[in-house]
Amino acid sequence: MPVISAELVHADPSLAVEELQRRLLAGQTLLSDTPDHLLEVVAVLESYGEVLDAYSINLIYQAEKQFLNPVPIFKYLDGDLSLAKIWRHLNHDRINFEYAEYCQKAMFWHGTGGMDAYLDSPDFAANCRAIIKAKSRRDPLLALLNPLFPQFLPELIRSAATTHALGQFWRVMSDLFLDLARAERDGAVRMIPQVVDFIMDGLVAAAANPIRYGVEIAGQHFWVLPPEANLTFLVDVAVPYVEAVFLRGMPFLGTVSFNAQAQQISPDQAQFAYGALYADPLPSMGAGIPPSLLMQDMYRHLPASLHQWYRERTRGEGDVRVKICMSFQKAMFCVTNAAINGTMPHSLQATDAAQQSANSAYALAWATRLAAGRTDCLAA
Amino acid sequence: MLLSGLLLIPFVGTFVLLLWPTGASPQRLRLVTIVILLAQLALSLVVVGVFDPAAAGMQLQEHHSWVPGIGLDYALGVDGLSLPLVLINAALTLVAAVITRDIDKRPRIYFAMLLLISGAVNGAFLAENLLLFFLFYELELIPLWLLISVWGGVNRAYAATKFLIFTAISGMLILGAFLGLALLTGTVDFSLTPVLSDRLAMGGQLLLLGALLIGFGIKIPLVPFHNWLPDAHTQASTPVSVILAGVLLKLGTYGLLRFGLQLFPEAWARLAPALAIWAAISVLYGSLAAIAQTDMKRMVAFSSVGHMGYVLLAAAAGTPVALLGAVFQMVSHGLISALLFLLVGIVYRKTGTRDLHVLHGLLNPEKGLPLTGSLMIVAVMASAGLPGMAGFISEFLVFRGSIGIFPVATLLSMVGSGLTAVYFLLLVNRAFFGRLAVTPPSGDSLIDARLDVRLAPVAPRETLPAIALAAAVVLLGLVPASLGRLSEVATTAMATVASTVAALSLGVV
Repeated sequence: MPVISAELVHADPSLAVEELQRRLLAGQTLLSDTPDHLLEVVAVLESYGEVLDAYSINLIYQAEKQFLNPVPIFKYLDGDLSLAKIWRHLNHDRINFEYAEYCQKAMFWHGTGGMDAYLDSPDFAANCRAIIKAKSRRDPLLALLNPLFPQFLPELIRSAATTHALGQFWRVMSDLFLDLARAERDGAVRMIPQVVDFIMDGLVAAAANPIRYGVEIAGQHFWVLPPEANLTFLVDVAVPYVEAVFLRGMPFLGTVSFNAQAQQISPDQAQFAYGALYADPLPSMGAGIPPSLLMQDMYRHLPASLHQWYRERTRGEGDVRVKICMSFQKAMFCVTNAAINGTMPHSLQATDAAQQSANSAYALAWATRLAAGRTDCLAA
Repeated sequence: MLLSGLLLIPFVGTFVLLLWPTGASPQRLRLVTIVILLAQLALSLVVVGVFDPAAAGMQLQEHHSWVPGIGLDYALGVDGLSLPLVLINAALTLVAAVITRDIDKRPRIYFAMLLLISGAVNGAFLAENLLLFFLFYELELIPLWLLISVWGGVNRAYAATKFLIFTAISGMLILGAFLGLALLTGTVDFSLTPVLSDRLAMGGQLLLLGALLIGFGIKIPLVPFHNWLPDAHTQASTPVSVILAGVLLKLGTYGLLRFGLQLFPEAWARLAPALAIWAAISVLYGSLAAIAQTDMKRMVAFSSVGHMGYVLLAAAAGTPVALLGAVFQMVSHGLISALLFLLVGIVYRKTGTRDLHVLHGLLNPEKGLPLTGSLMIVAVMASAGLPGMAGFISEFLVFRGSIGIFPVATLLSMVGSGLTAVYFLLLVNRAFFGRLAVTPPSGDSLIDARLDVRLAPVAPRETLPAIALAAAVVLLGLVPASLGRLSEVATTAMATVASTVAALSLGVV
C-alpha cells in the first residue's frame, strides 16, 4: 500500500456526545469562538439573509398568486413576465428557487408540529371544500380534476400552506440575519456567543408571531391557515423547519443510492439524518437536500470580506462553494445552538437538582443527535 | 537533405545541451529543448508536405556509402509506413519535454537524452539499410536506460536493469538475424530487398525470421516477452512513459512490418497462422492481466501489451486493409497511451498514489481533478475503441482486414477489445467516481465523508498537453483519411508484394 502524504488527509476532529452536552450545559457555544469563525458565520449569514429574502418573496408569491395552478410554468418569475426577466431566467442568471422548494417539500413530507396536525383536521378539510368549490366555478380543469382525484386538490392546498408558512418563516430569518450583519458592523457583536445570543433573541422575539395564510378567489377572501388555528412562528414553523431541513432532510436525491430493503434507510422517518447539519460539503451528489444549489445562490451575494477570506484559502475561487458550505454549516450550528438555548427547560443557572437533571437530559438528547452530524466543523 | 535534417536537429540539439554552460536553470534548458523539438516537428511537417502519397516506394531518398566493407550505408528514405511514425515521434517527444517539470538533478543530461532518443528513433524509422537501422535501434537504448535509472521511481535500478537485459537480448537477436542473412546468402547486402527462396532456403528464412520475431517481440512487447514493460513504466517518470509507450514500442511493430513481412514474405506467410494465434494470446493475456492490476500505471502498461497484439494480428493477416489498420493502430495507440500515461502522471503528482484501492472520486468538480478525470474518460473510451475516436478506426480496420484470413484469432482479439472496456471502466469507476478520498475507505460512509481531501488544483498548463492529445485522438477518429491518405499506397503495396510472393511460394499462382 503506498504511503499517503499527511497533507492530503487530516484527522477527524469530530466532537463526542459528552463534549457537546458539556458545552450546552456550560453555556458555551457549540462553535468555538475564533475571529475566523466570527467572520465566516456573520458574513455567510448575511449572504444567506439576502438569499432568504428572495426565497421568501417567491414562496409567498407562489402560495398566493400561483395557488391551485396545476402547471405553474412561471412560478419563479414573481409575476414579472418581461422578456428581459425570462431571458435572465433561461440564462440561469437567477436565484435557485428550487432549493427553497426542496426545503418546503422536506417540511411537508416530514410534517411535524402544529401546522401539520391542523392540515389533517376537519376544519381544514371544510376550508378546502369551500376553496375548491369557489375555484372550480371559474376553472374547468380543476372542475374536472377534483371529482376524478378528490385528494389531489386538498393536497395541493396543504403544500401551498407549507410553502406560505416557510415564506413567512424565512421573512423573519432574512431580516434577523441582515440585522446581525449590521450589528456586527456596528460593533455590537464581536464574538460567537454574541452571535448565538443575537439569533436566540430574534427567535424568542418572533416566537409568538401568528402564522396565517389566506387567498383571494374572485374577490372573495378564504382562509387556508385561519387565525383560529392559533399557529405560531416558533412552535409550528421554526421547530418543524429545523427538524426537517437541519436534521432529517430528504433521502434519495443524487447519485449515491440507498437500498431501503437492505436497511440502509431507517424505517423510522424520525431517525433520518440527511439534513443540512449532516450534509457532506463536497458536492459528491450524496443523499439529502443538495447544498450546492444554495451555495451557488450565496456565492452571488457573498460579502467582500468573506470572499477575500475564501480566495486566500485552499483552491481560492476553485472550491469556493465547498468552503461556503463549510461556513454555512458552522452558521447553522449557531442557529441550532440558539434554538436549543432558547428552548432549554430551565435556566442554566438553576441550582435545583431536578431542574439540572431535566436540562442535562435535554442537552444529552440534542448532543446525541448532533454528534452524528458534521461536528468536525466546530473546532477552531 | 530533408531526412538528414530530421536526424541533425535532435543530434545537434543533444550536443548543444551537453555543452551548455553548467548552472543553467532547468527551465531554460527545457525551453531550449522545446524549441529544438518544435523545429523537428516543423521539419517533419515539411516532409509530410513534400511527400507524395500517391507514389509507392521510398521517397526523399539519401544514399551515401559509409563502410562498404561491412555493407553499412547511410541510406535514408521515407514511405507511408514510416512517415506517420516520424510524425508521432516528433509530436510525443515534444509533449514529453513540455510536461517535464521539477527536474532537479542533471537537467542538461536529461533533456539531452530526450533529444538523443528522438533522433535515434527518427534514424531507425528512416533507415534503409539494416545495419543503419540496428545502429539507431541500439542508440536509443542507452538514453532510455539512463532516463529510467537516474530519473525513475524507487525501484528504478531494478526496472532499468531488467529493461536493459531484455532489450539488449532483443538487439542481439536482431543483429544476429541481419548478420545471419549476410552469412547465409554470402553477400554483404544490407539493403531492404525481399529475401526469397532463390537466395535462401526456407529453413534459413524461418530461422532468421524467428530471431527477428523474438527480437522485435521483446520490444513490442508480446507475451511472453512483455515482462520488462510494466516494471519499466511503473518506475519511469511520466514523460519517459509517454515516449516509451507512444514511440519506442512502435520500433518493434515497425521492425516486424519492415523487416519481418517485407524482408521475408515467404517465411512470413508460412508462419502467419501461428503469428495470428500468438497475437490473440498476447491480446487476451494483456487485457486479463490489466484487469488484475491495482496500480493505474501498470494497468495502462498491460493494456499496451494487449493493444500491440492487434498490430501483430494485422501483420499476420497481411491484407491491405489490415496493414493500413496496423499503421493506424500504431499511431492511435501512440496517442492514446501517451494521453493515458500523461493523465495517470497528473493523478500521481497530485495524490501521491496510483493505487486503485486508495483513489476515489477524483472527478469531484470542486476539490478533485475534474478536467483530468474527464480527459481520462475520453482516453479510456478511445482506448476501448468507441466510434468517433482514433481507437475505433484502427481496431475496425485491423479486425475487418483480418477476419477473412484468421477468423478465430480475430474473434479472440475482439474479445480483448471488450476486455479493454472492462479494465478501463474499473479504473474510471474506482478512481474517479464516488466520494472524493485518497485513503482506504472505512466502509462507514459517515466517517469517510469527514475526511477532507486537500488536493492541489491542476494548473491549465499541466492539462494543456493532454487536451492537445485528446483533440488529436478525436480528430484522427473523425478524419481518418488524413492519415489513411499518407499510408494507404504503401500498405497496399506491401500487402500486394507479400501476398504475391506468398502465393508464388505456395504454388497457387
